[in-house]
Amino acid sequence: MTGTNGRAHENLTFILDGEEVPFADGETIYEVSERHQREIPTLCYDPRLDPFGGCRMCIVEVEGARNPVASCTTKAASGMKVKTKGGRLEMHRRVLLEMVASENRTVDVDELSGYASQELGTLVDRYDARTDRFQGRQSGTSHGDDPNPFILRDYENCISCYRCVRVCAEQEGDYAISVMNRGFATQITTEFNGLLKDSACTFCGQCVQTCPTGALADLKALANADVPGTTEKTRTICTYCGVGCSIDILTRDDEIVGVLPAMDGPANNGALCIKGQYAYDFVGHRDRLTTPFVKGEDGQLRPSTWDEALDRAAEGLGKVVEEHGRHSLYAIASGRAPNEAAYVMQKFVRAGLGTNYIDNCSRA
Amino acid sequence: MTGSNEQVIIDRWKDEPAPLLPVLQELHDRDGYLSEEALHAVAVGLRIPIADLFGTVTFYHHFSREPGGLAASRVCTGPVCKMKGADALVAALEGATPMPCSGRCDDPIPVLQGHDTLVGLSADTLESRPSPLPPTALTGVEECVFAHIREPGRASLSGYEKTGGYEGLREALEKTPEDILQVMSDSGLAGRGGAGFPTGVKWKAVADAEGHPKTIVCNADEGEPGCFKDRCLMDYDPHAIVEGMVLAAYATGATRGFIYLRYEYPETERVLDQALAEAHAAGFLGTNILGSDFEFDLYVRRGAGAYICGEETSLLNSLEGKHPFPRNRPPYPVTHGFEDLPTVVNNVETLASVAPIVRRGAEWYKSLGRGEQAGTKVISLSGDVVRPGNYEVPLGFPLLELIQWAGGVPEGRSIQAVTMAGLSGGFLAGDDMDVTLDEPSIRSKGSFLGAGGIMVFDDSRDMIEVSHQAMEFFAHESCGKCFPCRIGTQRLMERLAGKAGPKDLEPWIDEVADLGKTMMETSACGLGVAAPLITNSLLKYFPEQVSDHVKR
Repeated sequence: MTGTNGRAHENLTFILDGEEVPFADGETIYEVSERHQREIPTLCYDPRLDPFGGCRMCIVEVEGARNPVASCTTKAASGMKVKTKGGRLEMHRRVLLEMVASENRTVDVDELSGYASQELGTLVDRYDARTDRFQGRQSGTSHGDDPNPFILRDYENCISCYRCVRVCAEQEGDYAISVMNRGFATQITTEFNGLLKDSACTFCGQCVQTCPTGALADLKALANADVPGTTEKTRTICTYCGVGCSIDILTRDDEIVGVLPAMDGPANNGALCIKGQYAYDFVGHRDRLTTPFVKGEDGQLRPSTWDEALDRAAEGLGKVVEEHGRHSLYAIASGRAPNEAAYVMQKFVRAGLGTNYIDNCSRA
Repeated sequence: MTGSNEQVIIDRWKDEPAPLLPVLQELHDRDGYLSEEALHAVAVGLRIPIADLFGTVTFYHHFSREPGGLAASRVCTGPVCKMKGADALVAALEGATPMPCSGRCDDPIPVLQGHDTLVGLSADTLESRPSPLPPTALTGVEECVFAHIREPGRASLSGYEKTGGYEGLREALEKTPEDILQVMSDSGLAGRGGAGFPTGVKWKAVADAEGHPKTIVCNADEGEPGCFKDRCLMDYDPHAIVEGMVLAAYATGATRGFIYLRYEYPETERVLDQALAEAHAAGFLGTNILGSDFEFDLYVRRGAGAYICGEETSLLNSLEGKHPFPRNRPPYPVTHGFEDLPTVVNNVETLASVAPIVRRGAEWYKSLGRGEQAGTKVISLSGDVVRPGNYEVPLGFPLLELIQWAGGVPEGRSIQAVTMAGLSGGFLAGDDMDVTLDEPSIRSKGSFLGAGGIMVFDDSRDMIEVSHQAMEFFAHESCGKCFPCRIGTQRLMERLAGKAGPKDLEPWIDEVADLGKTMMETSACGLGVAAPLITNSLLKYFPEQVSDHVKR
């Protein structure tokens, strides 16, 4: 649905804020406007998902249309005259923000809540929206009783943008999250409004990272909210498997306080699994091995050097081949290794050990 | 409770078109509610993620998730029934719950018990009785859809055929589909469900669209408070709708059709089932219709209580078993409708007008209207009026004359206001009630005719309370997809209830006006666009009542 469809069309243009701009067939007004740095505000938009048209923040004026249209769901058309700014649009955006702010407990949430968690607060500041206007009932019932250690379900801060529902279906394919009731009683939920562990949730955390209000938040990261120091971001690759998801490690004084998926990661496009998102405790764990060990004469493991350890392994493997033949060995490459390492592994087993008994744990 | 036969139910439906609603209805009937076990079986059987299925079930007002839920009385608390004492009736009936206007404003108060409607003004007078026929036609007015409706036995095939029923279809099959499209286009018939889109243009678009099979959907989800005309047409002239749909299919090349009927009309479903069976047996439906190679299958699907499903794209999502949010448009249903294929969605009254037009010609139909207006419109008139009911009037007929024909307001009272388009058009009051019943006239007053529901309020009514109930309805029915409608209807309702909002008039009006403006200009569908007409018209016609309300 989103994005250019790649077909080259000549001379397709429309007028964007008085400027003639080219576009590709199938592109939305929003997509073209973003390419031209219009900074149209959004709340329900995530470029990875099908446009939804719920928040109406991205409204623009199209000449000839009585009312503003949602730019995320409206395709650009040749000759269209579009205005992305102006008093009427700014007024509606401000009122919409004031409406949304009025249904939530707060718009200020800790930045460790998740990747997109500051979106609402940032827009409220940008439009100078009043958070005390349109007072009335607040929406959403928090699921404070959900005992999972990863995902906070603070629906009192939910604005029903459905990004979590959509990312779960469209990106992760879990269909664990859905929406119950309707209107102001709308509630993000799972099957039979139960706990996440009883649903199809795989705790990949993508709902957390796309949530624009911190209603769904990273509980593990939030536990580090009091760790002193400024947060630094380090781009790296998740070590868990060969997919190579890009992640940004969040640290304060060299202590990991959280992980964010890289939305521009070429392999993952903002997606992670439970391991990449949450299972980073091993990094600083006291039981983590930092040097090879070999067994001494006494049968006890002692710290050693790579040279000694590799010599010992080669000696042992050679002895097995000598005594039992080369087909007595079987090797499994780790799924955590990338393709290149897996290739070298099978080369080593075939050429070095002389057996075809090699497999990969991703398959075995 | 739940036994092994749910698999039998699922297997029977799963290869039928639009299976989810009928499967859920059967399980709801079997157990008296929708259990977790039943939903798990449906999720597996129809391959729907269980979380989505659960969410979708909770969207509908009438699906109960508690044992005994189906059997509990549901009492209509629509605007007219409220005036007639609906709240007392809810209190008097054990276990009863309120339901939004269920389309019996000409004969209140309807109470749904299982799949039967009882009617009465108090618990001890409740009885089962047929829905009312239209009152006597206006003198000097030629009717179209009501021309034969008062004939006894009209609902049966033989009764329908007595005065030319299915003759339109016979004649059409002698002509080309293009001929039929031309007649519809020339007649000036426009959608009678409220949107007023030219029927001929819609049909032509579907006929020209690529993709098969094409579908005809009859929108019988008459959910607008104060509208009860479609019920009357279906109860007393079901074959007119069937014939209209078959003609639509012939003209557009469609091979399947659905009547999407609102949950609150269980008796009507039985009438339609009977009519479909008769029409099928007589060769007006199915394959080789009247010996031709034209085929058309027609199915009834019953909704489950959601006003938004009267919005055509929500309706299509509901039919498809999806969460009934409105779709983003374009694309429109004429190219991307049911299962993303070309689809006509027409209102009951629109379809009932088709056969008479085909038989009697475009010129005849056009001439029924007054002035520039083509054809007729059924007005559902109710509230403080002596003879409420469905009146078929020429488009362009004066509103006050109609009210007078219906006996006016009760003795000793005067008219304070009328609603337009059910509730969606807000109120007209004072000199602005001097309009003719057509879109140009009513739109010039900032309202619209819509589906033609008009509720009359005499000078004894508290317009703040009427407005509050109206906004309560919109808030209850808002689907929750777009922000302005989901939050705006709630905030306006709270302000009309006096529960929240500024205590001074100026900031109160400021908030209400800002909410209304943003809802009207940015909402994703008609519900959020129309709802603030209530508050706008309240501020326009009744500023003193507003002022008193804010201060108290």
